[in-house]
Amino acid sequence: MKYWLFIPLLCAPALFAADTVEFNRDIRPILSDHCYTCHGPDQSNRKTKLRFDTEAGAKQNLGGRFAIVPGDPAHSEMLQRISAGNSPTRMPPAYAGAAALSDHDIDLIRRWIAQGAVWQKHWSLIPPKRPELPQVSDPTWVRNPIDNFVLARLDKEGLKPSPEAGKAALLRRVTFDLTGLPPTPAELDAFLADNSPGAYEKVVDRLLASPRYGEKMAFRWLDAARYADTNGYQTDAERYMWRWRDWVIDAFNKNMPFDEFTIEQIAGDLLPNATLDQKIASGFNRNHRGNGEGGIIPEEYAVEYVVDRVGTTSTVWMGLTVGCARCHDHKYDPIKQKEFYQLYAYFDNIPERGNAEKYGNSAPVIKAPTRDQQQHLDTLDADIRGDEAAFASAEKKNAREERNWEKKIAPDAQWFPSRSLVGPFSGAQTVGDVAEFGFTDKFTLAARINATAPNGAILGRGKDAAESTGYTLLLANGHLQLNLVQRWLDDALRVESVDTVPLNGWHHVAATYDGSKFASGVHLYIDGVESKLKINLDQLNQEFRTKEPLRIGGGAGPENRFQGAIGEVRIYKADLPAATVAVLATETPLHGLAAIPAKNRTAAQRDKLHLAWLDAYSPEPVRNSWHALEQAHEDRDKFYDSIQTVMVMQERPDVRETHLLIRGSYDRPGEKVERGVPAILPPLPAGVPNNRLGLAKWFVDPGNPLTARVTVNRFWQSYFGTGIVKTVDDFGSQGEWPSNPELLDWLATEFIRTGWNVKQMQKTIVMSATYRQSSRASEELVARDPENRLLARGPRLRLPAEMIRDQALAVSGLLVEKIGGPSVKPYQPAGLWKELSGGEDYQQDKGPAEYRRSLYTFWKRAAPPPMMMNFDSAGREMCTVRETRTNTPLQALDLMNDRTFVEASRMLAARMMREGGADPIGYGFRLVTSRQPTDKEMSVLTRGYAYYLDRFTKDEASAAKLIAEGDAPVDASLNKPALAAYTNIASLMLNLDEAVTKQ
Amino acid sequence: MMNRRSLLTGGARALGIAALAQLFGEDFAHAEGLSGIPQFKPTAKRVIYLFQSGAPSQMDLFDYKPGLANLRSTELPASIRMGQRLTGMTATQTSFPVAPSMFKFAQYGQQGAWVSELMPHTAKVVDDLCFIKSMNTEQINHDPAVTFCQTGFQLAGRPSIGAWLAYGLGSENKDLPAFVVMISQGSGNPNDQPLYDRLWGSGFLPTRYQGVKFRAGADPVLFLSNPPGVDGAMRRRFLDDLASLNEMNGAQFHDPEVATRVAQYEMAYRMQTSVPELTDLSKESDKTFEMYGPEARRPGTFAANCLLARRLAERGVRFIQLFHRGWDQHNNLPAQIRGQSKDTDQASAALVTDLKQRGLLDDTLVVWGGEFGRTVYCQGKLTADDYGRDHHPRCFTVWMAGGGVKPGMTLGETDDFSYNIVRDPVDIHDLHATILRTLGIDHTKLTYKFQGRHFRLTDVKGKIVNQVLKTA
Repeated sequence: MKYWLFIPLLCAPALFAADTVEFNRDIRPILSDHCYTCHGPDQSNRKTKLRFDTEAGAKQNLGGRFAIVPGDPAHSEMLQRISAGNSPTRMPPAYAGAAALSDHDIDLIRRWIAQGAVWQKHWSLIPPKRPELPQVSDPTWVRNPIDNFVLARLDKEGLKPSPEAGKAALLRRVTFDLTGLPPTPAELDAFLADNSPGAYEKVVDRLLASPRYGEKMAFRWLDAARYADTNGYQTDAERYMWRWRDWVIDAFNKNMPFDEFTIEQIAGDLLPNATLDQKIASGFNRNHRGNGEGGIIPEEYAVEYVVDRVGTTSTVWMGLTVGCARCHDHKYDPIKQKEFYQLYAYFDNIPERGNAEKYGNSAPVIKAPTRDQQQHLDTLDADIRGDEAAFASAEKKNAREERNWEKKIAPDAQWFPSRSLVGPFSGAQTVGDVAEFGFTDKFTLAARINATAPNGAILGRGKDAAESTGYTLLLANGHLQLNLVQRWLDDALRVESVDTVPLNGWHHVAATYDGSKFASGVHLYIDGVESKLKINLDQLNQEFRTKEPLRIGGGAGPENRFQGAIGEVRIYKADLPAATVAVLATETPLHGLAAIPAKNRTAAQRDKLHLAWLDAYSPEPVRNSWHALEQAHEDRDKFYDSIQTVMVMQERPDVRETHLLIRGSYDRPGEKVERGVPAILPPLPAGVPNNRLGLAKWFVDPGNPLTARVTVNRFWQSYFGTGIVKTVDDFGSQGEWPSNPELLDWLATEFIRTGWNVKQMQKTIVMSATYRQSSRASEELVARDPENRLLARGPRLRLPAEMIRDQALAVSGLLVEKIGGPSVKPYQPAGLWKELSGGEDYQQDKGPAEYRRSLYTFWKRAAPPPMMMNFDSAGREMCTVRETRTNTPLQALDLMNDRTFVEASRMLAARMMREGGADPIGYGFRLVTSRQPTDKEMSVLTRGYAYYLDRFTKDEASAAKLIAEGDAPVDASLNKPALAAYTNIASLMLNLDEAVTKQ
Repeated sequence: MMNRRSLLTGGARALGIAALAQLFGEDFAHAEGLSGIPQFKPTAKRVIYLFQSGAPSQMDLFDYKPGLANLRSTELPASIRMGQRLTGMTATQTSFPVAPSMFKFAQYGQQGAWVSELMPHTAKVVDDLCFIKSMNTEQINHDPAVTFCQTGFQLAGRPSIGAWLAYGLGSENKDLPAFVVMISQGSGNPNDQPLYDRLWGSGFLPTRYQGVKFRAGADPVLFLSNPPGVDGAMRRRFLDDLASLNEMNGAQFHDPEVATRVAQYEMAYRMQTSVPELTDLSKESDKTFEMYGPEARRPGTFAANCLLARRLAERGVRFIQLFHRGWDQHNNLPAQIRGQSKDTDQASAALVTDLKQRGLLDDTLVVWGGEFGRTVYCQGKLTADDYGRDHHPRCFTVWMAGGGVKPGMTLGETDDFSYNIVRDPVDIHDLHATILRTLGIDHTKLTYKFQGRHFRLTDVKGKIVNQVLKTA
């Protein structure tokens, strides 16, 4: 790999050599890399006044000495110092472990000084100006302005563009590039048959209109957004952000302008009357990892989340490594540490906790019903309205009946709510396996007690030991206390009533819990009156469900034995509202209540009497309509609870103070800072609020020098493998000079000019003659420009991981196309999750979910899908925008032996046999490569087939084993040895370099 | 028939010199490593890192504190705690009673090292070991602490130490990866901390440098085995056909990636033979199994992995890392640590002895240790025969052996509570710098430019611990 890594570097000077030395292109990178650590923007690290990041600093008078004297290399001390060989005066200094500058770099600096040492502001911070279209040697080659810039550069280099790629190759290239899938034979035939001048454009328009386009575009955005299906960190349990993922697909498919897209991704929640979709969009900045490990210091991680947002947002929209300024002023770019925290202040005002949920989504979240779910919800709401109307009319008709009933209630008649009731029980006892609740269940625990001592367990499920796992309602020093415990102290919730329960008398006590895991979801009542809560511990993070029996007057250890009497224990599988708890507490039988004059009854007395009537004593029409209404509410609640949430951004009502953190450390706050953008960039546009929304608008303000450039550069990378600025994630001093600055600026200004039209930008790129070139190249051209930065040929690149798998599914006919929804779990070798954690293993899906596009594959951060990782996918731990491609033996093993590809080979083989007529091999080859095999290729494939057929005919058992791989049913009508032999041939095709390459 | 040789001769002109060099040089990592590395004469050619995941209790194994017996159940003095930040697990605990180790210690070897009864086999080889009792870290929770040990930084995203070495040093064996990882589950805490693939990932380095996980079972490397029904002869035919088809198409493009791909398929084919040969322990002698213990016969155990580690070392794999889970003993520590020590003690000692007997210890560095230490104060209830210990970053014990490290010595000392370091502190960066030094690498020079910065394993820190090096 050595050579492959270094050739581009060696060639870089040659690529960009020119007579005039240009500061930004030639000099700044040298200064940045070798001098800025001590003579750069970071003031704490500057040893002397001399600095090379500003013109004044570099050319200042240092007591009659000058580092740089424009036009006078001989008197420029800097030049003497950098060329001082091994002398101790040499800079950068050997004592600091630094290497001397290369002769090439020294020569560049000498020439630059001789030419007048002209300084330039860093190029990427100057807003792009629309460049003039350069004259080119062959105007007939030019299809759009991209080609002017590319050809002008080739002219300068004395190179010629390559001819246009063949139609088939071009179709395969553009179909992968715009949809992530290969063309079908029918699409290929249609294109080959269409000789009209607009044939190619028709294809491009068709592809851009395909919903697959949005899926393709979304994949890279997910990498940038560090999207995953798990929380990361220790337990790495599932989270639910797929609604956000689907928003992204939809936005690309709708061709949402990139400025709107930006505003909604960063601050959709802050838009006036934000829609559900806009709120979902803001989840971009919640895709970072969340730490739910027991024992973490929440403040520490709360800082990390904000730092991640600043870093990700800066990389994606600014292409700047702002994160470097977290601990100190940026070493290379003009970003002060304070400015890092000013950006930070835009992102730290959300109501979140440092200790994230171990399982599921962490607040702030919103319910995010899909369209189907919303429809169902609307239906349920309509049902409720219908039931309400029916009930109201029945109730009204029977009002007189109710008053009559009150007069003739039997003296012993008693009533309490029975919906969702467990019990009632009376007296201390071990009940058994009932009332099993977990940490996401709603429940109510209620009892009437007569306590003679201030401490004792009333009821609960858990080992008979203090603070054991489970739930317990108890008296603690006379206060009513609810304990929900996974592990005592660090994974537990304990709240108690501020009021005390009087001893030596009957009193009603109740606790309700809403399944939220938070103390705020607990309510405690004494005699039907809600008590203020004292929160002792609010750190519940894991399941507390236990197999211990329900104990009444027991549990929590011998030291907590209840003293006194317990009666009327009622447990509900619902968190009853306060009014209902008050009814529960109302002991007086119905007869007694009725005896109280109506106007003297308390609300609870009135409710109890009325509810009893509705539930048990009213005529059938009332009772039925009441029960129907209750059921309708319950159905609605149940469905609503089942709707997944999505994590979103939200602002706290009050603005949190933000402080600079000394050395970036959470526990060392420094000076207070206000929200603001780095001084080196333009200020916020007039009239926008100084919050996330204003920041988002600032990114897409036409005066912002970075956003358009950084974005089109990423687009460019997706077609040509390398950005015009190779360091797609660093447009700062340490980044690489654009290979074609005018082209970059033209694209950036064009993007803005067209209203940030994303589809149009893709179209402009793929319509260019530059893109359409053949990737066939001479040995000389490859040697001269191995990375194809000059673009004298078309792109030839290994496909990204997801396209390799999706192609196999597509050509084998296995692909199940469906947009969006929860992530799916296709094949993966067994045990990969379990061996890391000892916990649950991957549960593979069955059926259509096995064959969805890789975009939808469940992404566990601790153990990402191995095939994806083998083929260089981003790990989704953090923002990744740079594409990498390696070439390893593990990839070979994967493509040959992974069940995914073995099954796809067998299904492709079956397709070849069924649909390929007299030429199954040619048919399959064309499915995979979009072309017919040559005679020589055909001969290799045919002889290979004969060999395998012979082997499998002699050994049918092996044939049967091979074709049995995978869940897709085997086509029993096909000859087994032939199918197995074709399976090997199909596998050979899927393993071709050409198959995994866009060329 | 087209094979690799004919591809080379036939395609040599077309592919160019660089591509040819790749064919020979590029396997899992470039065989020669980076130019200019190593900077020093290496004393180790490879490393076996026996990572004890979950954090072993130093004062129950090696850091003997006889004075604690008299302080049992007394409060840990504030003068010792000195405001050390506590994990959220014990931060709300109101009492911090001293829990002395209930295990017996004795002195062993010429160096007179104190070792607890839990580690009888390790005790026998102490004169081959170099203990560092003054290891410390900044991290108090598992994920950040293990990530820190593996990558020199507490948040995920940077290359692991093995990936750095694969990148810097390349591979000594063209049929095996430069960086191999093996995992085993201990008998201690079954709900112990999980591991993550990223712990042996390549971070921002190219993915070729990531660790390759070897697993127990039919497929020691993922996707290694041919599909059912496909034998070696068929695979050979397949690869020959693939090479000739790739060459036919590739000739039009002069893309060196084509030749590289052909070479990688050949490498994959060689792995299909070399890895099963490697993981097949059937030819190991009974004596060897006796040495490593009965567990060594059970694939996937720590002992079996230790034996495999020796076989990998023999074959020149650069960085071999074992992860043994189960040391996170917050409660029931005495029971759990017994099992956990039994898992690891005999095989770890056997590995050192085995390497020594084969003359491999001279240039193989073995490292044994976890991500932090454990507290002297009890977590949960302190009873006559039970206690638990929380995470403790301020001190823990690691041992090293071979590879140019001085044998039979102990570096560093902790206070009477095994709470603070009183002499020769060594942090994770220092340990990394020292490991790199044994391999001849100046840790400040092994860098990779990413997002404008020249990153290194030791971040901006790291001092070589010269006291433990023979050469220093």
